[in-house]
Amino acid sequence: MKRRLFLRGIGGAALATPYLSSFHDKAARAAGTVATPPQRLVVFFTHNGCLTNRWFPAKEDGPITADDLAGTYLEVLTPLADKLLIPRGFRSMNQYSLSSSGQGIDPHDQAMGSKLTCATISTARERYATAESLDHTIARQINNTGVDPLVLGVGAASSSIKEVLSFSAPETAFPANVNPQTVYNALSGALSSGGGGEPGNEAGYLVERGKSVIDLVEDDLASYQRLDMSKADQDRISDWLDLLRETEIGVNNPELAAACTRNAAMNYGVTDETVEAASPTGAVTGSVFAPGGGGAEGDANLAISFTTGGDMMMNLMALNMICDTNRMLMLVYPGYVKFGWDGITHGHDHHGLSHRTGDLSVGGACKVAGVLDMLRDIDIWYTSKYLRLVNLLESIGEGDGRLLDNTATMWLPELSDGNAHNLNNLPIVIAGSAGGYLKQGAIVNVEGRQIGVGASEDSCANGGSIGNTGSFNGNVPINKLYVTLMNAVGCTGPDGGEVREFGVFDGTTITPGITNPGEVPELKA
Amino acid sequence: MNTRVVIVGLSLVCGFVPAGCQGDSDGSMSGDGSGGSNGSDDGPEDEDDAEDDADDESEGTADGEGSGSEADESGGDEEEESDTSTQAPACSEIPWTSQIPRLTNTQYNRTVRDLLGVTGLTASNNALPSILLATDQAGGLSTLGWSGYTTVAGMISAQVMGDPTLRENFIKCDPAEETCLHDTIVEFGRRAFRRPLSEDEIERFEEVVAKGAEITPSGAPEEVAEALLYMFLVSPSFLQRSEISSDEDDSGNFVLSNHEVASRLSYMLWGSTPDEILLKAADDGKLETSAQILAQAERMLADDRARDMVVEFHRYYLMMGPGGRWDTAQKDTELFPAFAPAQVPLMAEETLRFFDEVTFSGGSFSDLLLSPVAFVNNVTAPLYDLDPADYGDALEQVTLDPDERPGFLTRAGFLNGYAHSTYTAPVLRGAFITKEIIGIPIDPPPPGADQTMLPDEDFATIREMFEVLTSSDDCASCHRAYINPPGFVMEGFDAAGAIQTVDALSGAPIDTEAEVLIDAVQGPVTVTDPADLMQKIAESPNAMRQYAKKWVGFAYERESDPLDACVVDGLADKMTAGGYTVLHLITDLTQTESFRVRAVEG
Repeated sequence: MKRRLFLRGIGGAALATPYLSSFHDKAARAAGTVATPPQRLVVFFTHNGCLTNRWFPAKEDGPITADDLAGTYLEVLTPLADKLLIPRGFRSMNQYSLSSSGQGIDPHDQAMGSKLTCATISTARERYATAESLDHTIARQINNTGVDPLVLGVGAASSSIKEVLSFSAPETAFPANVNPQTVYNALSGALSSGGGGEPGNEAGYLVERGKSVIDLVEDDLASYQRLDMSKADQDRISDWLDLLRETEIGVNNPELAAACTRNAAMNYGVTDETVEAASPTGAVTGSVFAPGGGGAEGDANLAISFTTGGDMMMNLMALNMICDTNRMLMLVYPGYVKFGWDGITHGHDHHGLSHRTGDLSVGGACKVAGVLDMLRDIDIWYTSKYLRLVNLLESIGEGDGRLLDNTATMWLPELSDGNAHNLNNLPIVIAGSAGGYLKQGAIVNVEGRQIGVGASEDSCANGGSIGNTGSFNGNVPINKLYVTLMNAVGCTGPDGGEVREFGVFDGTTITPGITNPGEVPELKA
Repeated sequence: MNTRVVIVGLSLVCGFVPAGCQGDSDGSMSGDGSGGSNGSDDGPEDEDDAEDDADDESEGTADGEGSGSEADESGGDEEEESDTSTQAPACSEIPWTSQIPRLTNTQYNRTVRDLLGVTGLTASNNALPSILLATDQAGGLSTLGWSGYTTVAGMISAQVMGDPTLRENFIKCDPAEETCLHDTIVEFGRRAFRRPLSEDEIERFEEVVAKGAEITPSGAPEEVAEALLYMFLVSPSFLQRSEISSDEDDSGNFVLSNHEVASRLSYMLWGSTPDEILLKAADDGKLETSAQILAQAERMLADDRARDMVVEFHRYYLMMGPGGRWDTAQKDTELFPAFAPAQVPLMAEETLRFFDEVTFSGGSFSDLLLSPVAFVNNVTAPLYDLDPADYGDALEQVTLDPDERPGFLTRAGFLNGYAHSTYTAPVLRGAFITKEIIGIPIDPPPPGADQTMLPDEDFATIREMFEVLTSSDDCASCHRAYINPPGFVMEGFDAAGAIQTVDALSGAPIDTEAEVLIDAVQGPVTVTDPADLMQKIAESPNAMRQYAKKWVGFAYERESDPLDACVVDGLADKMTAGGYTVLHLITDLTQTESFRVRAVEG
């Protein structure tokens, strides 16, 4: 019987493993970075675009001032203006509705599947992306032991392409986890009881039981590994084995992990009780794309999930960063929900409102009375949530600065305008410099020409227009932003140097190939 | 109607493919049974995303409480001699599938229910176990996925050992007795892994027991037993439905072992783990022949868990699900006084009760289209012009006029769901009938089709309005031949599902006659009214093939694989021949080669 040291929690040096050398290298590298806090990418994702003319500051290039933000949604971020980067002019691939480019599949499927993959989506029923998504590429490189990214959400669980942003492999969805309790349970083993992160805070028998589990499960998996299975099935087995090894190695950065205590968790509002209160145990009202329960209980649980649940997810993200259990984190809000919390009560779901019609049909007249006010309610609500996340990370000290400084915390939208489904001129804001890599306090026009703020209120003003795009400019491939962020958080290219390319294609057609490699120097500090 | 702008095809998700209508290009329409001609994958997928995705979901995650399905005991175990069920089509080319799919969260819930009697986690407010598991996904196990399994395993093992009743489902002796834990490894292991444990596996669990003192607080036998249960519940051989036998047959496929057949049977028919009878049959090598498998399938269909499965299938067939039209469509209560929002969930329940009743009373596909059975209570009675005073709170079975209300498409659930809030939706009804029921694929409308403006004129009927709206060349190619006609026939019912003879727009008489395409070879046929349409669909080989195709996709857990066309054709041929019940069809799904073997990745 194999006998290995089992570290479920804190501390200790990285252990040599007899298995994968690349895996070992990563562990060793992680252990060698004790002095410098790690960099993380945090993605805050929302659906259905926004009223872009209210989101964008008018200024398209230059330092961010309070005046620039005044009157826009982003005004609430003014106190943190010197930690913001607003890149102007990026475009996701496969522009759908304004031309015949792209794959000509549903624009939401396309936007979701291509968003973080810069690849086509499958024409099979599920329409999943045909390539791995950015978060997995990054996680494999920068996470301790390469663990998968932390992809969290709220609302009802969904594996629909309408709600899935993350793909662990081609045509393999990695849906968001929506129960804070599940996330907390996974983390709680890493939380020491306090007093400087001493290892072995668990009862000795649990450590021994953990070893037995690993031995037993490894042996079970090994019996499958000996079979002549398909590549996909072999991967399933080896992924599971990797997980066990990760569990063994645990956290590799003792200094960081010393902060990972139950006391710290309590300071960020994470206790057994608060997590339980934020985690619905019954039906959660879903949508066509996220089957959940329904009825009054489901509606109440949906509200809990969106409010205390989503806030708890942010707390848990912060805690995962403090404990260094993950450096690639995403919070993905669902798109097909009817708002009914925090003083907002809508009769139609967000997606229907974004079409100005209240239902799945697009274009036509602005059919819902007061629809722009409702959209503004939603946009402002999401802005307040992004603000909460950024403030939370800013409130936590790390090294000589704040946790926020060691992240790039990006608000990434599905679409620019929800009615036009346009993917050019995306409203993106990034807080934090990822350890000084990114420019701060600046709006940067990466296209070098006038872009505009869009015209999201036009269809209601003029009737019947599918428009709202307002601008056809802002077409720099988003691959370049991703490449910049990959370098910012410490990824390397195939040659060990900086990353130059990400994605399968960067054009507005689906022709494979990167025509415009490299990062965007203007976004760097 | 006072609105001047009407959007054609309100159900269509934003986003349209510039393509013509390709309904007639699909081999499945001819019903000629030529294998491999089933290229219809893309047709049904594209037109109405909302609904397609809704059925994606109901396929994988419906919990299938099936409340109400057990209320009806009449004829539930009708198992005639299945002479029509014995001839399996020889389809040896089958799609490759994973050998080690993990239990879905729904399957996990049902498995621990049937294995241990655990229906809720007492440590977590009695929530379903799946609530603490990671979201279903088919790829490699994630960190949260593994954490979820271990957390829930801990809760379940403590709960089971702490409850004398549940405990007997795991351990049948006193753990302090010398051989008790060994016996439990052998006995429970067989049920947990759905096959007997190998010597190596028994030894592995023996080692766990041997380390009892180290891995538990005190080493007490009770604690060791709990740790043992925990170990089983986190074992890959429990969490994966493994198929590892490697005996090749003549076609190069691998023949499943008896225990693997048992597992397929139980997860297909019950969505859960095999029972003792099934395991015993596998132990005894009595799941070898078609007849042996058939006998088990027929036995299992008499169990309530199969009724849940039949309900779940029909949710999938009809694309019912939270947020879908069936479950949400509302009406303007001023225009439709018989309508009340409280009726909507009851309509959905009625629809499922209908399918349950027809299936388990030995009905055939055509009965689904023609049966006069309905279920009403004091809330929904007005929808069928019945007196609410005659009914209580529970849905009761009634018989409607078969000339007026034949089959499920003339029940309130469909008629209300596939209509707008203030007026009927011939496009929605017609597209659903043509695409989903008859099985003729329809491509999405061209870009901008939804923007079509209503001409500025008055219309006498909704039918006339939609004829004009869809009259442009771009629209007409699909609408005139495929979409509108069945929708116009269904104008015999108003938006809330009541029979109507005059149009709401002007009081003009309703014209339900249309030329409907039901069979491509035969071409459009004149259909006079809804009952006539139901009769013709009930006899349609296309519609039967579509129903069989959906069953194959559901039962084999793979959507419309072209290699399944051969099986689908075989089933459709039997349906067409007549005397073939839905139950025959279900049991025949266990009679194919596809069911008994697994393919090697090609």
